[in-house]
Amino acid sequence: MNFTEWRHSRPFWGSVIAIISGSLILWVPLNLFLSAFLPGSIAVVGLLFGGLIIVLGLLSLFFPQSAKVLGIIIMFLSVLSVIGALGGLFIGTILGLIGGAALLAWRPIEWKDDRHPASQPRETAKAG
Amino acid sequence: MNEKKREINRGGRTSKKVFWTSFLSGMILLGALLVSIGLSGVAYAVPLAGVGDFYVEFDNLEGDGYTFYPKMGETSSSKSAPQGTNLIEKLTIKNLKLYKDFKVGDQWLRVEITASKPVQITGLQQDASLIQANAKFSNLVLKENYSSDWTKQFKQSSSHITLGSAKLKTHYLFQKTITMNGMKLTVHKIDKK
Repeated sequence: MNFTEWRHSRPFWGSVIAIISGSLILWVPLNLFLSAFLPGSIAVVGLLFGGLIIVLGLLSLFFPQSAKVLGIIIMFLSVLSVIGALGGLFIGTILGLIGGAALLAWRPIEWKDDRHPASQPRETAKAG
Repeated sequence: MNEKKREINRGGRTSKKVFWTSFLSGMILLGALLVSIGLSGVAYAVPLAGVGDFYVEFDNLEGDGYTFYPKMGETSSSKSAPQGTNLIEKLTIKNLKLYKDFKVGDQWLRVEITASKPVQITGLQQDASLIQANAKFSNLVLKENYSSDWTKQFKQSSSHITLGSAKLKTHYLFQKTITMNGMKLTVHKIDKK
């Protein structure tokens, strides 16, 4: 299986956008390393949200059959990350919503050599 | 993806309808969270970092539980610059103004946040490289410690701090909770030589 085939068999772009979103969300509290680890600080919540979104983005790459559930969790975490990380200055939150929605909208398909998806009804968008 | 060797090809599809429905639902959820913060007036764990140095100005600050120590930290123009970290447990600020200037082409834009009513903050951490203010301290303690880490060699603390007519060049700001009533955000052009 080459890279293009591997990429098409999973929600590649949704996962990549989710990972970028998690990195942005993580970046703000990482600047905060001092107070993030002070006892009772809420800033550690931002670290948790960012880290979880990155892990879930990676999981959706390797477990494409769970993309729907992972997408929903990523969307919720992105919104909640406004608390404690300011959602990566909101850019992380918006990217998390885009990535999560892309994962949620992705579904695996199978076709025989003589029935390429392009020949199926056009109710759905491009493959990815 | 069209391999002649295999009978079954596997791939994936993204449904536009599901994508937009989910994305809009997420935006509504985000809007609901921001509205709830707006209604209660309290925002939790608000960091302001990564935009480079910005200025904080206010008429008066009354705070309890103040600690200051030196550090090296990032600014927008340098990876490591001398700064001071101010920690204040609980404070009230009157006529707060936060602003940052951006050069767009040959013009300067100022993004400014002001609060017309007193702002209440708990758990403030602020990294500043310049502090201009009329300061009053109660129970001020200046302490030197023997340590190989230079940031731990000096510490200043006070049970109560009052700052008047202050201007602080800030690089990092974090608030555990902030109540900001009468907040106004404006973006306008400024003349800057």
